[in-house]
Amino acid sequence: MSSEVNLSIELCGIKFANPFILSAGPPTDDVKMVKRAFEADWAGAILKTTSVENQVVELVYPMMAGLDFEDKKLIGLGNIDLISEHHIDEVEGRVAELKKEFPDRVVGTSIMGAKKEDWQTIVRRLEAAGVDLIECSFSCPQGSLGEKPGAMVAQDPKLTKTIVGWVKGAAKRAPVFIKITPQVADIVEIGQAVKEGGADGITASNTIPSLMGINLDTFEPYPTVDGKSSYSGLSGVAIKPITLRVIAELAKNVGIPISGTGGATTWQDVVEFMLVGAGNVQFCTAVMRNGYRIIDDLKDGLTNYLDDKGMSSPSELIGRTLPKLTVHDELSREYKVVAEVNRKTCVKDDLCYITCRDAGHEAIELDEERLPVIDEEKCVGCGLCVAICPVWDCVKLKKVEKKEKK
Amino acid sequence: MAERQKPPTLSLEKRVKSFEEVKGTYPPHQAIAEAARCLFCHDAPCNKECPAGIDIVKFIRRIKTKDFRSAIRTVRESNVLAGVCARICPTEKLCEKPCSATELVKPINIAALQRFVTDLEMREGIKLPKKAAPTGKKVAVIGSGPASLAAAAELAKAGHGVTIFEVKSLPGGVLTYGIPSYRLPKDVVMAEIDFIKQLGVEIRTDTPLDEKLNIGALFGQGFDAIFIGAGVGRPYFVRMPGEDLNGVYSALEFLSQVNLYQSEEKKEFPLRVGKRALVIGGGNVAMDAACSLLRLGAEKVHIVCLESFEEMPAFPSEIEFAKEEGVEFHPRSKPLKILGDSNGMVSGFEGIGIRWKEPGNFSPSNAIPIEGTEFSLEVETVIEAIGQGSDPSLAPILSGVKTTERGLILVDEEIHMTSREGVFAGGDIVNGGDTVARAIGEGKKAAEGISNYLKSSIKGES
Ligand SMILES: Cc1cc2nc3c(=O)[nH]c(=O)nc-3n(C[C@H](O)[C@H](O)[C@H](O)COP(=O)(O)OP(=O)(O)OC[C@H]3O[C@@H](n4cnc5c(N)ncnc54)[C@H](O)[C@@H]3O)c2cc1C
Ligand SMILES: Cc1cc2nc3c(=O)[nH]c(=O)nc-3n(C[C@H](O)[C@H](O)[C@H](O)COP(=O)(O)O)c2cc1C
Ligand code: SF4
Ligand code: SF4
Ligand code: SF4
Repeated sequence: MSSEVNLSIELCGIKFANPFILSAGPPTDDVKMVKRAFEADWAGAILKTTSVENQVVELVYPMMAGLDFEDKKLIGLGNIDLISEHHIDEVEGRVAELKKEFPDRVVGTSIMGAKKEDWQTIVRRLEAAGVDLIECSFSCPQGSLGEKPGAMVAQDPKLTKTIVGWVKGAAKRAPVFIKITPQVADIVEIGQAVKEGGADGITASNTIPSLMGINLDTFEPYPTVDGKSSYSGLSGVAIKPITLRVIAELAKNVGIPISGTGGATTWQDVVEFMLVGAGNVQFCTAVMRNGYRIIDDLKDGLTNYLDDKGMSSPSELIGRTLPKLTVHDELSREYKVVAEVNRKTCVKDDLCYITCRDAGHEAIELDEERLPVIDEEKCVGCGLCVAICPVWDCVKLKKVEKKEKK
Repeated sequence: MAERQKPPTLSLEKRVKSFEEVKGTYPPHQAIAEAARCLFCHDAPCNKECPAGIDIVKFIRRIKTKDFRSAIRTVRESNVLAGVCARICPTEKLCEKPCSATELVKPINIAALQRFVTDLEMREGIKLPKKAAPTGKKVAVIGSGPASLAAAAELAKAGHGVTIFEVKSLPGGVLTYGIPSYRLPKDVVMAEIDFIKQLGVEIRTDTPLDEKLNIGALFGQGFDAIFIGAGVGRPYFVRMPGEDLNGVYSALEFLSQVNLYQSEEKKEFPLRVGKRALVIGGGNVAMDAACSLLRLGAEKVHIVCLESFEEMPAFPSEIEFAKEEGVEFHPRSKPLKILGDSNGMVSGFEGIGIRWKEPGNFSPSNAIPIEGTEFSLEVETVIEAIGQGSDPSLAPILSGVKTTERGLILVDEEIHMTSREGVFAGGDIVNGGDTVARAIGEGKKAAEGISNYLKSSIKGES
């Protein structure tokens, strides 16, 4: 029974009431709002990235644009937001206030500095305020490194290691997580640099630099600020597969606690993030879209899932899929499947037929009843028809004996 | 925005030939597509219009996130007859009425989603919820319609001992003896009643409350409180010449036989169903009678009623359903007499067109016949479905309980207690006849009232 499932988890010695936390972003940029989130039962929040008082943060508006697909709104969200307008003087007060009112909630803060002294001051002041966790933003796509616009710290392994060293040098108590970008040629190299620098964990990953679209009448890019735009950070459902890959690569090759962020929307996503190695999962766009209330769906869904699986804690999920991930060369060449159609549930929309005819192996014919029939000789089992069929459990792949090539 | 998902439905040719359920259940992809149309309104307006108190927006969100178990739990915790309701709630005037998706495309098909969830649940068997520790208190419940069943279930969950007294041989009230099975299959009703029994409710069928076993006697037997959910089971008749002919029935009697006939295989139908039949009345009961007549083999079925299509009390969807099946309507007409043959059998009917004296008042006394619009129909069966009221034989049972002139029980709206202490009531016998969902809502409210009443009396004793 579900009463035996306990959703609480531990990451880097910190206890979380459940694996769901709010990532640094609009839902964590106001203390009243974070309080409502805690009341709703979010286990923790990373307050939106703060900086020293003299850092200038000048925002532009509008700063967001959605990515729609057919009738689905917001399968992705692009933003040209910057870090928080609230500086450390204000944020340290927020941390203290939140910890006092919600001692069992995890209060983390995302930080960013321009020089060593800035990074270290912020860390000291946050620790003094009682912060539970520090997350360093090495991956804001709107920032610039010196004279290189758009460049991020986490794209430079050497710099990454140096700055981690500074932060760890100042942090006496709170674990330090480094939030990296998926926008690099080799994610493992950066992960290693973070680890060597001495960080306690990695937040993987962040938004992905993108161009959200263009107004076809005016030729102006979105989100349009007085006729112009810059590249956006893409978040939400669309980036989930990228995040999954990033987490998996880090978990497999670096071996460091991971907080997952990027595209998580449902409890199923959380299970997946954890299966490839995340210790907890952060949410931003899903909350921006549907509010703090989604925590109820997440908790119930995960509880029922664990119960069905006979597990009592989400931590039993961590890394379970990693041994099943390998390099392409090692995948079996002996394994053979072919498509199979459930003639009872098929609604005869011919989608599988068209796709196999024009992009597959011409292995599907339609019979007198217009039901698809798979030619098992021609079907290579590529899986395209399964991906396309709109009916639940209608087209499936079945295993067959592999025939010797003549 | 995506289209409203239509559940699988029997074809017209197939459906008029049998009592098989007309509407099917969504396959999962349709359920998820329909759930995905929901806008997840804050302070959701749909929630406020479910008389049974289901947290609709929550259960739909659970479907959307494919957490079917939570969806089931959410529906079941507020409605012990959720599978019944999913089939017969007039959603156009309840939960779907204020749906915010209406303006975008069409309201969310809440009942079909509820049906998807309860059908999934039935496959696995309904899980019993947690029950409170026994209180040692005993409650008697009169009648076993939806009001009584809902009250009994809530009382049992609260830890009270509950005994239902039902005059008929099967429990369920209108669910069992009224609504025909092509809209509400009886195995659904019985599965939910079984679940209520498993909660610990004892149902004594063939046990009428009467002059001997009345309210006083029940208190004498040690019951601490009583709930009355006796419904409105007495049919009204037009009172016109020819009503004593063979082949004239009340809709309640007719539908009761239709349901019994369904439950006992291959028995001959005991009432006279001619090739041509007439139903008098413009409500849902009339629609049910007319469509059941077709299924019993009548070739031509007429409906005569005082109201125009817009004025009829039947739900628009039910009128549409009857029209589709070929029922011929004679709206704004008044019955004059039933004609008989030399053997005392019904052979025809005479009616006349009407207009309203005072607009907006649809009572028979307000109808003025229009000269020259007389018409006659050749029919062998006449079914009267012009309404029903409280059974006068209830009066001697209800000593000390105040009623209206029409015999409806008066209650305090908040706690549903009658004028007699410890006696509560709900459902049609209080509201005069409305919906199953409202009867459930009132039963639940009364159960809460009873629990609070019993708590205060527990305190009083100690
Ligand atoms: C043909 C028909 C179709 C309908 N269709 C719909 C529909 O589609 N949707 C909808 O929402 N509503 C519909 N309704 C209305 C709905 O059925 C009622 O509002 C609802 O059943 C009322 O529930 P209840 O528990 O108050 O009474 P009932 O369902 O009438 O139950 C009362 C019970 O009390 C028992 N009883 C009465 N006197 C005694 C006694 N002295 N001792 C012991 N037991 C007694 C009766 O035998 C009966 O079982 C329909 C009604 C009819 C008649
Ligand atoms: C409008 C907006 C502002 C954001 N601001 C910050 C920020 O200040 N610091 C930070 O580390 N991440 C920031 N993020 C990134 C989110 O924390 C998150 O990592 C990212 O959106 C991917 O996760 P998601 O798909 O759950 O939204 C921001 C995201 C959005 C959409
Ligand atoms: S895609 Fe699916 S539903 Fe469509 S024809 Fe193929 S098997 Fe049938
Ligand atoms: S019980 Fe009836 S009114 Fe309530 S949500 Fe379900 S279908 Fe709608
Ligand atoms: S009113 Fe309609 S759209 Fe809004 S929550 Fe209810 S079902 Fe969904």
